[in-house]
Amino acid sequence: MRFVLRMALRETRASWRRLLFFFVCIAVGVAAIVALRSVIQNVRAVFGREARSLIAADVLVSTNREWTPEARAIIERRLAEAGATARTETIETSTMVRPEDQAKPVARMVELEAVEAAFPLYGAVELADGRRYSHALLADHGMLVRPELLTALGVAVGDRLLVGQAAFTIRGVVLEEPGRGTGQFSLGPRVMIDLADLDSARLLGFGSRANRQLLVRVADARIDRLTADLRRDLRSEFASARSFRSTDDRIGRNFERAENYLGLVGLIIVVLGGIAVSSVTRVFVLQKVRSIAVLKCVGARTRQIFAIYMVQVGALGLAGSLLGVLAAQAAVAAIPWALGSPPGSLLGKAEYRVTWSAASQGVAIGVLVSTLFAIVPLLRVRLVRPSLLLRDETVQGGPRDWVRAAAAAAVSGAIVAVAAWQASSLEAGIIVCLGFAGLALVLLAAGRALIALVSPLARTGWFPLRHAMLHLSRPGNQTRLILLAVGLGAFFIVGVRSLQASLLDELSVEVRADGPDMFLLDIQRDQVGGLTRLLGEALGTRAAAGDLAFALIPVLRARVTAVAGREVRLDGVDEVRRHGSLGREYTITYRDRLEPNERLVRGRWWNGPAADPEVSIEQSLEERFGIHVGDRIRFDVLGRGVEARVSSVRDVEWRDSRNGGFMFVFRPGVFDDAPQTYVAPLRGPEGAAARARFQHDLVGRFPNVSVIDFREILETIQDVMATVTLAISVVGGLVLVSGAFILVGAVAMTKFQRVYEAAVFKTLGATTRAIAAMLLIEYGVLGMLAGLIGSSGAVALTWGVSRYALDMRWRLFPGEHAGGVAATAALVAVVGALASLDVLRQKPLATLRAE
Amino acid sequence: MRSFAIAVTAAALLSFGCGRHDEPMARDAAAPAPATAAGGSAPEGSSRNSRPRIVVLGDSLTAGLGLAPADAYPSVLQRRLDDAGLNYQVENAGVSGDTSAGGASRIDWSLDGDVRILLVALGGNDALRGLPPESLERNLARIIERARQRGITVILAGMEAPPNYGAEYAKRFHDVYPTLAARYGVALVPFLLQGVAGIERLNQPDGIHPTAEGARILADNVWAVLEPIAAPQGS
Repeated sequence: MRFVLRMALRETRASWRRLLFFFVCIAVGVAAIVALRSVIQNVRAVFGREARSLIAADVLVSTNREWTPEARAIIERRLAEAGATARTETIETSTMVRPEDQAKPVARMVELEAVEAAFPLYGAVELADGRRYSHALLADHGMLVRPELLTALGVAVGDRLLVGQAAFTIRGVVLEEPGRGTGQFSLGPRVMIDLADLDSARLLGFGSRANRQLLVRVADARIDRLTADLRRDLRSEFASARSFRSTDDRIGRNFERAENYLGLVGLIIVVLGGIAVSSVTRVFVLQKVRSIAVLKCVGARTRQIFAIYMVQVGALGLAGSLLGVLAAQAAVAAIPWALGSPPGSLLGKAEYRVTWSAASQGVAIGVLVSTLFAIVPLLRVRLVRPSLLLRDETVQGGPRDWVRAAAAAAVSGAIVAVAAWQASSLEAGIIVCLGFAGLALVLLAAGRALIALVSPLARTGWFPLRHAMLHLSRPGNQTRLILLAVGLGAFFIVGVRSLQASLLDELSVEVRADGPDMFLLDIQRDQVGGLTRLLGEALGTRAAAGDLAFALIPVLRARVTAVAGREVRLDGVDEVRRHGSLGREYTITYRDRLEPNERLVRGRWWNGPAADPEVSIEQSLEERFGIHVGDRIRFDVLGRGVEARVSSVRDVEWRDSRNGGFMFVFRPGVFDDAPQTYVAPLRGPEGAAARARFQHDLVGRFPNVSVIDFREILETIQDVMATVTLAISVVGGLVLVSGAFILVGAVAMTKFQRVYEAAVFKTLGATTRAIAAMLLIEYGVLGMLAGLIGSSGAVALTWGVSRYALDMRWRLFPGEHAGGVAATAALVAVVGALASLDVLRQKPLATLRAE
Repeated sequence: MRSFAIAVTAAALLSFGCGRHDEPMARDAAAPAPATAAGGSAPEGSSRNSRPRIVVLGDSLTAGLGLAPADAYPSVLQRRLDDAGLNYQVENAGVSGDTSAGGASRIDWSLDGDVRILLVALGGNDALRGLPPESLERNLARIIERARQRGITVILAGMEAPPNYGAEYAKRFHDVYPTLAARYGVALVPFLLQGVAGIERLNQPDGIHPTAEGARILADNVWAVLEPIAAPQGS
């Protein structure tokens, strides 16, 4: 044993430069894993906090009725089972408020929210002037209001407002509050009061409408179970339960997508790091073959030699991994600085540090992968004969070696375990490894095919090109290794980059800042002129961009009463009737043009008005109900029957909220005289005060027009989406950088095989320049082949992942893929040549004599 | 995937009570084919028959939101009329989400043909949106005047604002209907949702729209006022 350690140490001393390289390569791989996983975990923690503050709880139970004793009992039982640690109740109801001061008789509808002292369980209520929220502000008939209410009623902080039978004193102005949810649109500004004071207002009684909520905090692991149990048990009580993870709204869905994406990237980076470590280890061990032969010559036993190198690799792997953790620490600490910490942004709130789990995983992977991958090549030690040294031949696999096969199987098993650990699921681990193995096979086959394809170049007259090509198919070279490592690297990096582009594209629609943020409805026909003037005055200046700040859309209500086709599709119609889905009331409109969020799929769009009814349907109607162009649909429009011919099918991009979406759009002409109201999505003025004034003027002139202001909700969504977007970009950037580093390591390690060859070529008269050209070409071609394989594989990867893991439309980004090929080729060529600089500079004699 | 845009449109356009989910309604819609819909609410352009008409100008309560068309209370009224041997065709002019202002602007479209009786059942959405009772009164007055110009008998169905709007608003809102009834001398159904509002069993999960059973009670409330008016004089 002492001999083993001594030898391991001596070996290390003797070839420290090469070992240093090995060590650094492992450190880079591990650093990439640790830094990325840490950042991902940090960002996910922010997501979790943010998603929780959207509902101000882990689990939210709500009902629009009074809590029945049965519902209470169910909730008590389930909360006790799940060990809920905190809870609080709120009641929300719409009501009218007016100033106590009789001189100001304006009444305004508000959304009253009565809360207890424990509210909110997550997030914070933000007040104007930077004051801190505490429940004491509400106690004893205090209230907090939104700034627009002050404008609407002409009151100030300190004034008193009447709510029902009670008077409340305005104690502050709320800017932001958790628990606003994301799908709730209220017709009035929010007002917060103490739940204890609600009774005194005498608002709740027989026939009252109120939403009662129970906010719960519970251990993370119990959330999903509790939500599912409550949801099931409370169905008969007309109450519903949701967790902060519920994906029934847009934010939830996008959080989930981002999480899946980050989880996937985390797994990929581990695989990438593993590839780097393994290829570095392999090259390192192959380099030792001569030393091993020497040791055997002087009588060392196979087991001893095996132990010497395992100790060496293990120790270097550990040390390299630890260095990697340190490097990750530095990189992660630099992130806030690099981001410039945009004030108030969610990512600014993230705490960037290396997490213990990421660090331990990184070290474990560094050590495990390096030793595991050392075992298989080291088992060749048994086959290395001392004569090797004398004959100077490459080690060729002799007859089938069962021990090595068994070791390889064990190593594969260990890798599955590592992957399963990373993915925290055995199934996922196996899938990943199978996919990985399949991919490796495909890469090998594709590599061989591509090499065969370029092999005719080996007959050219130009020396560097000819020899570069010959090298590719020479035995014992690094072609397969680089193709595998770099190909996989390119595959994952390009894959991640295009997934990122596709995810960002998906989110961009939602983050757009110029979308409508107010909605007017119930505008009567005779008000259109006046309203257009008022809107033009208030918003007109911003219409300069050619993009009107508002749109007036006529809407009518209609029911579908019959669908008849060219051939009568009774089955289809019966089906429709049974499901009843077509039977509901639809909101329809008529217009002469397609909106920007619409695309014509089939049929022809009309031109100008016509007396003959024509309708354009949304694609989903075609798919779900089998209604086609040419079919006739009969509508009941406010008691009059209208039969319209389907003349086109549109695809509506529902995510683009600009002009809403309509299932049925009619050709103008038929409904000119029909009773209709108008709705107007619009971009309201900037600033709370201006918005309040705008609403005030509007409601003053057109009292029946209702204004829905969803600016706040939109801002919440945009803030969250901006965070998600930034997080994805940051992680994507890190993947690119660390991936490049990993590939550099993997490629650079192969240089040790070139030293001897270069010396031989030089001796035979090759100029340094010719050798450099040869290296550039060889590495360049290799890189290009690897990039080509990886990039085309990435197309398949993005397809599968978009479709099955991220639940979004698949998009192809040819730029990313082409760029991936070019960048990989350039990177491999440059790195290969740079790493071989000392090969070029070295005097051949030194190399030939000894190492 | 229904987006936010649709959520807005759904909330805004479909009906206020219905909430923001554009859920498939009338799950068990056993709707008869239009041709055989004797009691249905959907007349066909061609079969605009000569029966005198009763038009129900209303909102989602009238349209029968969440119900099969045959369960909406105007359809129930049609069956009552048929059973009583009264020869009227009931037109359901209910529009979900419609306010009194909307009703006033579409009154001419709805009073098409030989209309004898107009039942005005509006105001629910005015209440839910907290619109001023004065504008409700103005709009309903316009509707009544318009119908009277055409010699149509008007029945006004009363509506209440939910108590959570505060006693003062609720009272002012409530008073609009008896005031108008007295001013124009029209028949009044005191409260369309009498015996249904606030009773969980008779309402759909949204707590606003009646179930089929609730809709029958609505029909009862109207029938008590409608029957004497629709019945031939002297009987």
